[in-house]
Amino acid sequence: MPITVLQPQPAAKRQAAAMSVDSDSDSDSGGGAEVHGEDILTPGTVITSNSQWMRGHGTYVQPGETAITSSLAGTLTKTNKLLSVRPLRARYTPEIGDLVVGRIVEVQAKRWRVDVAASQLAILQISAINLPGGILRKRTETDELQIRSFFAEGDLVVAEVQQLHQDGAASLHTRSLKYGKLRNGVFVSVSGIGGGSGVVRAKRQVWTMDVANAGGKVDVLLGVNGYIWISKHIESDTNAEAVGINRMEESVSSKVYSSQNDPLELSTMREIARIRSVILALVENRLKVDEDMVTKGYSEAVELGRESPDDDLYLGGEKGQRLAAALTGH
Amino acid sequence: MPREAEPSLSERTFVTQALEEGLRVDGRKFDQFRSLELTFGDEYGVAEVKFGKTRVLAKVSAEVTVPYTDRPFDGVFTITSELSPMIAPSYEVNRPSMEEVLLSRLLEKTIRRSGALDTESLCLIAGQKCWSIRVDLHVLTHDGNLTDCACLAVVAALRHFRKPDSSIEGETLTIYTSAEREPVPLSWLHSPFCVTFSFFGEEGEQILVDTTWLEEQLRVSTCTYSINKHGELCQIAKFGGAALDAPLFIQCATGALNRSKELTDLVERKLADDAKRRDKGGFMAELTAENDR
Amino acid sequence: MPLDTSTYSLALLRVDGRRWNELRRLHAQIRTQDAADGSSYLEMGHTKVMCIVTGPSEQQQQRRGQTSQRDAAAINVNVVIAGFSSVDRKKSGRNDKRIQEIEVTIANALASNLHTHLFPHSSITISLHVLSQDGSLLAALLNATTLALIDAGIPMTDYIAACTAGSTSTYAAGDDSADPLLDLNNQEEQELPFLTVATLGDSDRIAVLVCESRVQVTRLEGMLVVGVDGCKQVKQFLDQVVREKGAEMVREGAVEKSDAMGMVLDE
Repeated sequence: MPITVLQPQPAAKRQAAAMSVDSDSDSDSGGGAEVHGEDILTPGTVITSNSQWMRGHGTYVQPGETAITSSLAGTLTKTNKLLSVRPLRARYTPEIGDLVVGRIVEVQAKRWRVDVAASQLAILQISAINLPGGILRKRTETDELQIRSFFAEGDLVVAEVQQLHQDGAASLHTRSLKYGKLRNGVFVSVSGIGGGSGVVRAKRQVWTMDVANAGGKVDVLLGVNGYIWISKHIESDTNAEAVGINRMEESVSSKVYSSQNDPLELSTMREIARIRSVILALVENRLKVDEDMVTKGYSEAVELGRESPDDDLYLGGEKGQRLAAALTGH
Repeated sequence: MPREAEPSLSERTFVTQALEEGLRVDGRKFDQFRSLELTFGDEYGVAEVKFGKTRVLAKVSAEVTVPYTDRPFDGVFTITSELSPMIAPSYEVNRPSMEEVLLSRLLEKTIRRSGALDTESLCLIAGQKCWSIRVDLHVLTHDGNLTDCACLAVVAALRHFRKPDSSIEGETLTIYTSAEREPVPLSWLHSPFCVTFSFFGEEGEQILVDTTWLEEQLRVSTCTYSINKHGELCQIAKFGGAALDAPLFIQCATGALNRSKELTDLVERKLADDAKRRDKGGFMAELTAENDR
Repeated sequence: MPLDTSTYSLALLRVDGRRWNELRRLHAQIRTQDAADGSSYLEMGHTKVMCIVTGPSEQQQQRRGQTSQRDAAAINVNVVIAGFSSVDRKKSGRNDKRIQEIEVTIANALASNLHTHLFPHSSITISLHVLSQDGSLLAALLNATTLALIDAGIPMTDYIAACTAGSTSTYAAGDDSADPLLDLNNQEEQELPFLTVATLGDSDRIAVLVCESRVQVTRLEGMLVVGVDGCKQVKQFLDQVVREKGAEMVREGAVEKSDAMGMVLDE
């Protein structure tokens, strides 16, 4: 690795202030829970005037100056030489590979516009979905004409962010059996990234859980954008794992684009509703929403439900606080 | 609704770069005003003001009405402004644009709320009869600096206006026609004028007065002062825009005061000229025995 | 009812017992509304306002007369003044010019402060609700907006902090002993000349300056100085509110801690 000798820098203007901040962060470096307001960057705070750093998201450099200044309220992230500010809370910003749940808001000639809670609507091209008909084939004009038969306005889809455009808009794709139209369940929206009560990017955003009270199996789908889908687990006819990559397209039946729900038992619906309550209780008590928390929260909720004679599903207010306390161990 | 086309990027850079070099596109100095023309109509209370290509016409009218119940001793004084499609197709009739709302608010604050016109003098019989003075402002062409132009037109028109004379005997109110008695001027207390400064450049370091429409589209911020010759500020309006150093505002206030004094002198001079012109056919004509043969 | 100026000159105390350079009690909260992208609640004395920010988000159909910008986010501001907010329960119409003027002022002040170029095709909608009025309305609205926008995580150059400044003498009285006053309440606003000033961050740079009353031009400087100083105090307060909220969130584990701060980077 080459060694660069940096030019000596003039003394920083806010050295005195920086000194005290530094001593604070030193005491924190041991992983202590003590946090001071000084650790939070706010708009207009100069992060550094050292020119060796590069500015990333959430920062700006005033024209004619060299100091990197924060434009958000948040905490600092350092990636090699790149300084960026992680906002305390912000709208979802798409990243390639994110699993998102979205709602179709507009149908155009060859594509859909999907609300994914970002600053702009995402785009789902007709060429980025699995077309029904068994074999891998090119899209035809017939497909374009019946674009609404795949997804219409208001439909919910689960998709992956395929690419990002220059202006920040995202393109989605559903070219996998995991993705597609959502049925047999309920939708929950929590605030996006950050803010303490949102979905966090985790190893697994989708999982199937066995639920209590003979509810069968339930799928939980945590979109990174804060949109969540909870539905009854449907066993596919052929095990998706066993199907080779080449034959994956073949198993796409027309059923994939159906808007009809499969028959649902009341017991399953109750448990789906319970999971929904758990997620909302997590949000209300500012806990993060991930697989671990939801499954733990769910088993706590089942216990809580047994206390009341008619197995109350409601988890707001005091009950939610009890649930949160049980989860955080306080 | 056709939208006004915005200046292109190259236009923008040309104008702003020229300003950085100290040059205005129309060749004026930064603190130089365009040639100003103020003319009065044949009737009392009509004034037309031209600032370069910006042209504004103000017409004052008076009628007798019932005063507002909450203000029985005050007359009614209204200023209405109209920005019609005559200026540009983007202005719609009966749909006040933001610009028009701000303009009428500014005129209201400058002239009405500052008490330039003594509204109590408009009262004829308390709670029953009063004069209603109405100023109709028509913008004929718009090439920037509309507020200053409009304010000057309204003030000049009101100063020029004569309302019919009246008398009260017991309970009977008599309004005399201009043939019976010479109309009387309004009771005028002070003449505030608007002076708008436009700021250009990153820090607002270039300060321009009397901007054209092109310059107005490119400015980073603007500040309008309303001030009379006695140095009384009636309002200051800097509605957002780029942030500027505080001392600039004091500096601009001084500039505004000087300009206001100039405008006061101008209006006085023009009014005197107009009076002289009118006198020719009036009192003086009666004295001379000459006929227009 | 003229303000009892004789009392002021005797004890140098204002009607509510403050000195000339004292702000009223400030109280603010951020993140008051779960459904909004950003929200805040702010009290300046008895003036109470709420702000809700939605966006930046792409709108389906642009409302008429609203300009859609291709390369930057559009800012829409709506101010609703509750009928019960002042003594006289007057319902203000949608087309009240005074409210429209306030809306334009806030939108313009933000347009040059927010980094809207980061959000093309989208719009940021700011809804302000006035719950109680007791002077310094525009200032309170501007402060609440700043807090809500920070909560919404919308990048900006710096805080916009606002307050009012007045002068103890009316325009008629030419006495030189007049004191400038900071942060006027409704009663003082009725009696005395005042201006609203908003500055950018800790600097002396003025973003908004609105004066609606008649005042000698020589008083302007004193009022400005006091106003700018008041804005700095307000900014400190707003900053404190944001920092406390941030620290609380870091403690709860909602946000990760900063990697490094201050001196470490300057080395």
